[in-house]
Amino acid sequence: MSRGTKIPRYRYLTDEQCRLLHEGTCGLLEQVGIDVAHQGAARLLLDAGANERAGRVCIPRHMVDAAIAGTAKRIELAAKDPESTVVLDPDNGPLVHFGTGGQALTVLEYVAGAFDKRPARTEDLAAILRLCENLEHVDFITRPVEPDVAEHEMDLVKTRVFMENTTRHMNLANLVRVENLPAILDMVGDRGRVSFISCLLVSPLHMVDETTEKFMRIVEAGVPVAVSSCCQAGTTAPLSETGAIMQVNAEVLSAIVLGNMVRPGAKLLHRGLPITADLYGDGSPRWCQPDSIRRLACMADLTCYYGIPCCGTAGVSDEPVPSAQTIAEKALGITAELAAGAQFVNSALGLLDRIMTVCPEQYVIDNTIISLAKKHLTAGNRYDLVECAESVVRDSLAAFGAPFDDDDAVETAARAAYVVSAREDISSKSIDTQIETIGKAVCTGQSSTAFMRAARKGLRAGLLYNGSRLESAIDLERLHGAYEMHRNQRSDVCAE
Amino acid sequence: MDKEQYLEEIKRNVVLGHADKEDEGFDGDMEGTPGVSELVQEALDNGVEAKLILERMSSGMETVGGKFESGEYLIPDMLAAAECVGAATEILEPHLLKEGVERKGRFVMATVEGDLHDIGKNIVITMLKGDGYEVRDLGVGVDAADIVTAVKESGAQYLGLSALLTTTMVHMKDVLDLLEKEGLRDKVKVLIGGAPTSEEFAKKIGADAHCRDAFEAVHVLRDFSAKAA
Ligand code: B12
Repeated sequence: MSRGTKIPRYRYLTDEQCRLLHEGTCGLLEQVGIDVAHQGAARLLLDAGANERAGRVCIPRHMVDAAIAGTAKRIELAAKDPESTVVLDPDNGPLVHFGTGGQALTVLEYVAGAFDKRPARTEDLAAILRLCENLEHVDFITRPVEPDVAEHEMDLVKTRVFMENTTRHMNLANLVRVENLPAILDMVGDRGRVSFISCLLVSPLHMVDETTEKFMRIVEAGVPVAVSSCCQAGTTAPLSETGAIMQVNAEVLSAIVLGNMVRPGAKLLHRGLPITADLYGDGSPRWCQPDSIRRLACMADLTCYYGIPCCGTAGVSDEPVPSAQTIAEKALGITAELAAGAQFVNSALGLLDRIMTVCPEQYVIDNTIISLAKKHLTAGNRYDLVECAESVVRDSLAAFGAPFDDDDAVETAARAAYVVSAREDISSKSIDTQIETIGKAVCTGQSSTAFMRAARKGLRAGLLYNGSRLESAIDLERLHGAYEMHRNQRSDVCAE
Repeated sequence: MDKEQYLEEIKRNVVLGHADKEDEGFDGDMEGTPGVSELVQEALDNGVEAKLILERMSSGMETVGGKFESGEYLIPDMLAAAECVGAATEILEPHLLKEGVERKGRFVMATVEGDLHDIGKNIVITMLKGDGYEVRDLGVGVDAADIVTAVKESGAQYLGLSALLTTTMVHMKDVLDLLEKEGLRDKVKVLIGGAPTSEEFAKKIGADAHCRDAFEAVHVLRDFSAKAA
């Protein structure tokens, strides 16, 4: 049996828009190319027909299209509990799965009516995994926090903690040391039970050395891996939605090309995060504002268009502690990504403060949000996404005792409407403009400054949502009580 | 245009962050009109003193700073203006030298070994250039030896180190140790920054200052030069 929820896909982009974005992506790869730091990877790509121009590896369209055609379309991720198998199969009425994510550095602890923050430890990793055993809507585990041991021990300690504390599929996320891969696989036994995430790309269009080596070894071993690229539109990519999606897509596809050369038919998940930078503040990432939520959903839509298994992202709140605003952000993000049909949505539970923090109580809240999102989107044969999102926000707040007044309703409606409305025309002309902007930025030593300068116009045109916060209080005692209940439910599940 | 008109036009373009003809400027509609770079060149050709241009650009940056504090300007606006001044200062450089005007100081900046994060570092560089410093950017993932060599070669009075990872911030200490070993420690003030760093960490490794952001860096440098004077 397999986990997952079947949802009629909401289309954020038309097929024609997807086609244009693909054209733009290929244009970028062909004309601007990738700056490949890993010599072996550069050699592989060049020998297979890529061209070197000004030190960059330019990948022709036929190589991209061949990789899209050849890469694995159906990926089965096994788990200790066979009922928890996760099947990613975008072309066959995609099932959406939700999981945790990280890597958070700190943990919030509920003490005497308030949250205390402290560094994350190995025990936290174990405790979170055990808690998630009792949460119905956790379909898989992506490593939430790393163990606090010496760097050379991290991989094996992490694997051991996973083996002992979860029956779900184990997405270990990053491989800390490449030489530890054989030992990890040995410890796991059944390779199908693990997968990784490789962040081998740095925006704009740079493939790093060390992580690329790890990526190639993982692919060689036949283990599934999500190829991740996360820009911050406005600082490491154009602020434009079209530009950021094209750039991130080009980054991910370049790794999919490479992966399929290392091993034809490689099991790769497309994980593109074209999220925005907070240009109203200090430029740090906006994970859960309507602009980023929309872009993540568009990325999932484009990935489904390709038929490549999609690792989506939803529900990383920008807020530091559980609150009404936190719930509202996550409810909208999770609903939008569920509707997009992303099959492997990680980071969906527990994460706060722009992925810097996890909170045990937050896992319980997010489990509820996911259940409500599923309930509202599957209530009839068809759904109105904006109405559903509003209902999920309202019901999630109610579940944790937060009042919802008229102002909150207006703000929630505005946020949901923003997520479903396009602010830019996607055309051959706008695509050429974006290729030019990106090309110029990568040529300067300081691309982030070039992107920020180019962001001024879009900023004034509303490309970053600017709304108000939901300020009502949630019932912390009730929340903590719900958490205690889940935590104590059945603690012996992992004893084999 | 007469001298005063040139100076005012340069200041106006600094405030609007309009770098050159190809730049869109604050509202996105200034493409095609001459920006700070062209205006500065033209002013120099017409005999306007470099020193006066520099002063008027600084006055423009004061205006920009005010608009930023009041919330009218956002980070990209501030950066664009600082970039205009940075680029124009390069054009002014030989003329300033002839007029006997000294630059504020030389800065070497790097993200430390093993660390690829550069967004924050670049913001700091742009702001410092806009404030009149000469900055040599060593880029990302730079090891201690290369940083110290650059400090030695350039005779910089200031060194900026950035780190965003808890695993790489320790390399800041390597740089300070090597500076000490090479007898350079008292010749250069070391500023550090990046999310995991702190005042406390700066003290611990013996850096001269920790800066939360680019504005603090500008202020800290002002304090240093006030104390030196
Ligand atoms: C963007 C980002 C990336 C981008 C970097 C793109 C780029 N070109 O820089 C990419 C995707 C490449 C990336 C990669 C990784 N990242 Co990263 N990244 C971030 C993120 C989200 C934002 C950083 C940022 O740009 N902030 C905005 C800028 C403006 O702020 P700032 O850098 O702090 O700079 C300001 C001040 O600090 C100060 N300042 C900074 N430096 C200096 C220097 C001086 C001299 C002065 C005076 C002032 C100063 O002034 C600046 C302007 O105001 C942070 C999370 C966060 N919110 O901090 C994680 C984060 C730093 N990354 C993290 C991690 C783990 C990684 C990876 C290891 C991920 C992976 N598994 O592969 C890799 C490491 C790559 C490497 N070897 O460096 C962790 C670090 C955890 C830890 N243990 O320390 C963080 C905290 C996220 C997280 N919670 O997981 N990352």
